[in-house]
Amino acid sequence: MPEIKTSEFVSASAEAMENPQLRRALNRVGSGFDVARRSAIEEVSWEAWDRWRDEAREIKVHTLDNLDYYLEMLHDNVEAAGGQVHFAKDAAEANAIVGHLAKSRGVKIATKSKSMVSEELGLNPVLESLGVDVYETDLGEYIIQLAGESPSHLVAPALHKSKEDVAELFRDKLGLPYNDDIDVMAAEARVALREKFLEADLGISGANFVVAETGTLVITTNEGNGRLCTSAPRMHIGITGMEKVIPSMQDLAIFLRLLPRSATGQRITSYVSMITGPRRNDDEDGPEEFHLVLVDNGRSRMLKDPALREALYCIRCAACLNICPVYGRVGGHAYGWVYPGPIGAVVTPMLVGLKQSKELPQASSLCGACREVCPVKINIPRMLLELRHRTAESEDSEERAVPMSESLVARAYTQLMSSPALLGISTNIGRTLQAVNRLVPFSPIARDGGWIKRVPFPPLSRWTKARDLPALPPRSFREIWRSELSKNPSGEPRDDR
Amino acid sequence: MTTADPGGALGTPKADFLASVRESLGRADGPPTQRYHRLTETANDLEQRASEVRQRLERDRPALLDKMAEMAAKGGWNVHRAPGIEDAIGHIQGLARQLGVTRVVRSGQEVFEQLPVDAALANQGLSVTPVVRDENNTREALREEIRQADLGLTGTDYALAETGSLVILPRRGLSRLVSLYPPVHIAVVRPEEVLESLDDLFLMRRLEYHQRSGEMGSYLNFITGPSRTADIEMTIVEGVHGPKQVHLVLLG
Repeated sequence: MPEIKTSEFVSASAEAMENPQLRRALNRVGSGFDVARRSAIEEVSWEAWDRWRDEAREIKVHTLDNLDYYLEMLHDNVEAAGGQVHFAKDAAEANAIVGHLAKSRGVKIATKSKSMVSEELGLNPVLESLGVDVYETDLGEYIIQLAGESPSHLVAPALHKSKEDVAELFRDKLGLPYNDDIDVMAAEARVALREKFLEADLGISGANFVVAETGTLVITTNEGNGRLCTSAPRMHIGITGMEKVIPSMQDLAIFLRLLPRSATGQRITSYVSMITGPRRNDDEDGPEEFHLVLVDNGRSRMLKDPALREALYCIRCAACLNICPVYGRVGGHAYGWVYPGPIGAVVTPMLVGLKQSKELPQASSLCGACREVCPVKINIPRMLLELRHRTAESEDSEERAVPMSESLVARAYTQLMSSPALLGISTNIGRTLQAVNRLVPFSPIARDGGWIKRVPFPPLSRWTKARDLPALPPRSFREIWRSELSKNPSGEPRDDR
Repeated sequence: MTTADPGGALGTPKADFLASVRESLGRADGPPTQRYHRLTETANDLEQRASEVRQRLERDRPALLDKMAEMAAKGGWNVHRAPGIEDAIGHIQGLARQLGVTRVVRSGQEVFEQLPVDAALANQGLSVTPVVRDENNTREALREEIRQADLGLTGTDYALAETGSLVILPRRGLSRLVSLYPPVHIAVVRPEEVLESLDDLFLMRRLEYHQRSGEMGSYLNFITGPSRTADIEMTIVEGVHGPKQVHLVLLG
């Protein structure tokens, strides 16, 4: 698996927010994808959209609740069509399967269509160590492969790169003269990869869906690279998470409406390729061998956990990234692993372990926008709260994200707020301290009107490091109520700040 | 672990993998207690629904063709309506001339039996290669023709008015690269190929699948407009790996 840097979320996001280029890129995401999504939905009406979402969710609930049954049906139908199914319990096993297939067939060149699961497995370095030249062919993936980076978005992996970055990369890695015209660069990538599609011995793809009823693998792309990778080489290996199975081909009508609209605001992508087994005798082209690798790699932990199972309904459209105020500030790399954004903050702790990623569930304002845009109505905020609960209460001290001081403060606060007498007394003490502080010249406690900007000592310093603390007002609501409002409910309270 | 092969499964044995999934679910082996309605349909049920769909399509044909033309244009096709065979050939000849095409590869769909386009293009001095395998034209030779072609000409199996998509199924004389590798793709669509929606399409495909005792064919390919990308600064560029220019000639 690729390097896991999820524990550095706080420092990585602070760094990301200082990066003006990332700012510009993320602003494009916010204004681009979600606007397109909304207008695509308006074309079909929000009522229809909501109906489709309900139907899709029902299909996912049913399938995941009976996953073993549909995996077996899928297996049988892929094999009936002449393909071969392999089950992989973890990344090492999946990589070993693909590595064995590549090596035993004498594969020299592999072309790859975009696959988040292969990113999750860290497949490319394994193939390279076996002497296979691996070419990512999705333009965004190709760019980050040349740069030696990882994707920062589920749909647009290289969105953090400026056109100048790409031009420099093409100059340095492909030996082309510097030209930052986007049309020119897309044409350069076309030329660079064109012959590779035909030379490759092996094409590797992910899957957006796999259909149990017919044993069909479905990929959606806009560039056409997915179809080239799966049509031209003599062997095709599809790799996907086991949760991608859907029961019937008829179900695709709904999912093919939801996915492109949610991802890029398109009615449908330029290409949808549905592949069932290897080429048949009468076909003029197509791979001689078709393999499907179904990967668990931690997914059964989610399956087992009723509170988190619905994270497996995700169809990786990235709508929740595009709308998320946190993703929109820190970008994808800050999340430290393959799956960023709100859904990543749930999936990552489940796949790599909560111990290493206990900051991720905190990376949300719980505004609920992710849930609203989700095409399968995944309740992401609920799961983030669930994970926060676990990081606060876990028996395992390594999973606990909350320091002792913070739990003590929370416990004291609970006491305070449940006793009117105690609250009254401490408010008075607080106000006195505030008044004294105001008399101290050059006090380290900085104030700005009704807000405390900085407290230099713990535990409050932890709060003011990242946000302001409201100062105690001269009179509390309870006092105003007692003296005025209760007598004159329609009257305005006197402003005596 | 990964030593068996060729032909055999690698990795975790199926039975073990499925048993572990079942264990995670806390579920006994066997079908779902609530059977999934779409999978309980018989070929007869599907046939009945399909015949209703066919009647609807027949009845709505003229409006459907207008909708197809409209949605295809929205999806990025250059749409050319052709009332008759002559008009269709005229469009194709005109486009080939205008684009300065010299080498054409053509898929062997049925529509070209009605549409003598090879001769028409040959008259303009173009070379036209039908992608049909024989002693001289091996798979490798045909691939080389496709590699060098500057125009790919195809028919279609279905067209979807809902999305403006073409849907192509495998058959002899048809390469999936013809519509994908050359920089220009021209597709000819017959009126009876136009369906209304994705639902119609998948119903028809499932019916055929179950009637042909489980043979789906190796692929089912949708094409909607040109190849495109927005991977650099979210700026849309057409023609990255597939064709930059796509034309749809709609008969009828």
